[in-house]
Amino acid sequence: MNTDSASGIFLLCAFILYTVSFFVFVIAVTGKKWSSRDPERHVRAWGRGGLIVTVLGFLCHLGYFFTRWAAAGHIPTSNMFEFLTFLAMMIVLAFIIVFLLYKTAVLGMFAMPVGVIILAYALVFPPDIQPLIPALQSYWLKIHVTTAAFGEAFFAVGFAAGLMYLIRVVDYNNASAAAMRERRGVEFVIFVVLLIVAFVLSVFLFRALGYEASFQQETTRIDQNGQAITETSTVDYVLPPIVKPFNSTTTTMKPFLGMTEPLFEAPPWMNGVNAGRKFNTLIWSIIAGLILYGLLRLILRKQIGAAIHPAVTGIDPEDLDEIGYRAIAIGFPIFTLGALIFAMIWAHEAWGRFWGWDPKEVWALITWLFYTAYLHFRLSRGWQGRKSAWMSVIGFVVVMFTLIGVNLIIAGLHSYAGV
Amino acid sequence: MANTKCECGHQNHAGTVLCESCGKPLFDNDGTSPLEMRYDGVARRSQKANPTAIDRVWNFFSSVKVAIYLILATLVGAMLGTIYPQEDTFLNIDPAQYYKETYGWTGELYYRLGLSDTYGSWWFVTLLVMIGTSLVICSLDRVLPLYRALSKQQIRKHLSFIRRQRVVYSGALPAGTADEWMAAAAEKLKKQGYRVHTDGTALLAEKNRFSRWGPYINHIGLIIFLLAVLMRGLPGWKLDQYIGFLEGEPVPIPETNYYLKNEQFNVTFYSEDEMSESFRQKGQIVPKLYETRAVLYECVSDCANPDKEPQLKELTRQTITVNHPLNYKGLLAYQFDYAQTPKLISVSPKLRNKQTGQAFGPFTLKMKNPAGEYEAGPYKLKLKEYFPDFSLSDKGTPITVSNEPNAPAFVFSITGPDLPPEGIVYLYFPREIDKEKYRQDDINGAVAGGWDISVDSMDDVEIANFTSYLNIRKDKALPYIFTGAAIFLIGVVMGVYWQHRRIWLRIDDGDQLSLGAHTNKNWYGLRKEVAAMLQRTGIDVDPKQLANEVKQA
Repeated sequence: MNTDSASGIFLLCAFILYTVSFFVFVIAVTGKKWSSRDPERHVRAWGRGGLIVTVLGFLCHLGYFFTRWAAAGHIPTSNMFEFLTFLAMMIVLAFIIVFLLYKTAVLGMFAMPVGVIILAYALVFPPDIQPLIPALQSYWLKIHVTTAAFGEAFFAVGFAAGLMYLIRVVDYNNASAAAMRERRGVEFVIFVVLLIVAFVLSVFLFRALGYEASFQQETTRIDQNGQAITETSTVDYVLPPIVKPFNSTTTTMKPFLGMTEPLFEAPPWMNGVNAGRKFNTLIWSIIAGLILYGLLRLILRKQIGAAIHPAVTGIDPEDLDEIGYRAIAIGFPIFTLGALIFAMIWAHEAWGRFWGWDPKEVWALITWLFYTAYLHFRLSRGWQGRKSAWMSVIGFVVVMFTLIGVNLIIAGLHSYAGV
Repeated sequence: MANTKCECGHQNHAGTVLCESCGKPLFDNDGTSPLEMRYDGVARRSQKANPTAIDRVWNFFSSVKVAIYLILATLVGAMLGTIYPQEDTFLNIDPAQYYKETYGWTGELYYRLGLSDTYGSWWFVTLLVMIGTSLVICSLDRVLPLYRALSKQQIRKHLSFIRRQRVVYSGALPAGTADEWMAAAAEKLKKQGYRVHTDGTALLAEKNRFSRWGPYINHIGLIIFLLAVLMRGLPGWKLDQYIGFLEGEPVPIPETNYYLKNEQFNVTFYSEDEMSESFRQKGQIVPKLYETRAVLYECVSDCANPDKEPQLKELTRQTITVNHPLNYKGLLAYQFDYAQTPKLISVSPKLRNKQTGQAFGPFTLKMKNPAGEYEAGPYKLKLKEYFPDFSLSDKGTPITVSNEPNAPAFVFSITGPDLPPEGIVYLYFPREIDKEKYRQDDINGAVAGGWDISVDSMDDVEIANFTSYLNIRKDKALPYIFTGAAIFLIGVVMGVYWQHRRIWLRIDDGDQLSLGAHTNKNWYGLRKEVAAMLQRTGIDVDPKQLANEVKQA
């Protein structure tokens, strides 16, 4: 067994342990109403159990990280797969730190799924070890990427706490318009999370079925001297093509549910790398997400938020508010250091300018401005609690867009971090 | 004007919320809700009655709410700028055409709205300047009164001040004297890292006050940062050039006295055995290294004289790779791009006598600025004419179409043994392809029968294969920028990772304890600490019970 395959096994172990720890935390929270037990002791014992499983999973994850580092010869944070697995690892670490500060088992019920989903999402991207291009050959790759991810991980924990706060305080028995709107908002957040889960599941499903389709796409780009260059490239699809790439012809396509040709073509203004495939992925995610959400609604027969709500009723919302705030406050300086200051130093060394308004840089700045606004809003009284929780939820959406959306939708200097 | 004199006798500034001395609320005196403790309730300049025009500007910029709106406006503006690539992403485009052609009417609208240069637009720069102003004024407006309030704190606070904190406890003391309990409490608090001040039966415990200065320090850092960014606009503070360097030729760097020579450029790619199994199958070519061996010169004389070669003095030799620029006293050269541009640099041919087979030389001919005379054995070659980019005009006369040695041609006048005293004229094309194309031997006529200039092999030909594009930079603002960033980070860490905690307590009627505590964040930690202190001194209380039950109004 070589180090490369060992790293794969470690990662699988981490994934399984994280999932187990999630269920342990769920039992810690929901099981306290079981008969013949002292609720407080139950929560403490199972909470500790959950933490132990989480730490074991984290150790496996570290095992993956270092074996892969050994196999690749460079720190595994250089493409989307590696970065997202690293981000998941940092989210678990941030959760462990916040858990040790507050010892609230219910946080595990919300933070662990965030880590698990991101880890699962990572597996969608090609996991090959790639040689390091010259731009990435710098020790700043280690410093900048790890610090930025660690800061963002605390924002993820802040997101978990914020969502938890909302599910806790949203009134599920009130028919007023404001309460309905808030319920729908929470439901929408849950739907988006399910959408990502559904996307990951459908990719795994079609991979297991061995589905494939491929296209020849002609793209015209304008080079630095203003000359048009036409290139032909092959685009492979994992999911059945509803949309084909702009200006492309079908090479092979396995029929799917009687569909033998893509239904339509991607619009020309989608100009990222492989935009057509990404658009197709988005359509599939929405379809699969709706199916998954619909199934859950059918089983639960009520809003998903309403189903989770009873599990968190025993918790003081002010504590949740503070946990969320604290997580973000801890993450903010780390994020600033990693995603802005170290980024500026590296940009200065690699590109000769510390700031160049590259889309990725701009979005890191947008994330920073957003959390700056969050911290200042908390200075005024009205922005604690609900509004603050909504901001921490939206903030994490901004973080994820910066990390993934920018690479998938907007092309720029960071495009090598894409698929 | 409102009466701002407190019942304790202290005269407060207009706008004070909590008496500066005893802490008694000056407004909403009968309420029971937790007090607004921001800036300890002191008056700020922005709360002046009867504001003048300057006061109004001050008040506008001193508002945190305005600051947040400025931040959010900048955020939205920055977002808009990422919809389409900005103009400066491209080197040679006409933006008026480009956006319309590439993105259609939305692209045209984007350009018309000026969003194709969002970050250089007047409104975006104005927003940044306004944020800077807000930073200065917000900080000044708050830091001075806060400093005053914190540096002269009264130990004995008004009961309604203590009872209306967010962390409170009141009850009877356990058995024993009040003095003994106070001593025990003070000791425990000191162990927890508090500075303890007592005044009879009143006590003030305080820790980590420095964290209150964190926000102001980080704002100072940001101000330095923003000023440094603005200063980059000053002449001479910033140099930013993209220059192509053909191998082997020193090229002057504009706006400076420097010349830089690319001695050799190397590009290497990963070999197959450096790739993982699965990656190899993709058949991608991945570059491993771009490297320019660079020599930096300073021009010492004849710098601006077109007739003479500039005299260069070598300053430094460095190898430039991506992530490792050349650095000489703040002048930086970054590996930016490269192009394969095969070009002749020089040839070292020999003069040959075709009859005897004798060869003389070699002598070295440079394609750029060739010398006027050469020697090959006993022969003298005088360069009569040089055409770097040889061509024939409409009338059939030789001309050069550019100064680049694309098709160099040399006209020599050769003198020496066995030659007529006035010498012979010989036309020499170093490139074989030009020699054929322009029929060198026919032009040279009879001379070609007896004499020949040619190289032995390709070893005598020096060719530049690559042009390395370097980004030449100078940025005097950099130290200030990174100093600002460092100060900012120190301030944030101070303000976020430590919390200013204060505990006030007083004992009335011999055994009635009233305790109030305040922090700027992490109430959970404060409650735990207070509960630990109370438990230690004989009062059994759960941290959760300390939370002031009265909900926020």
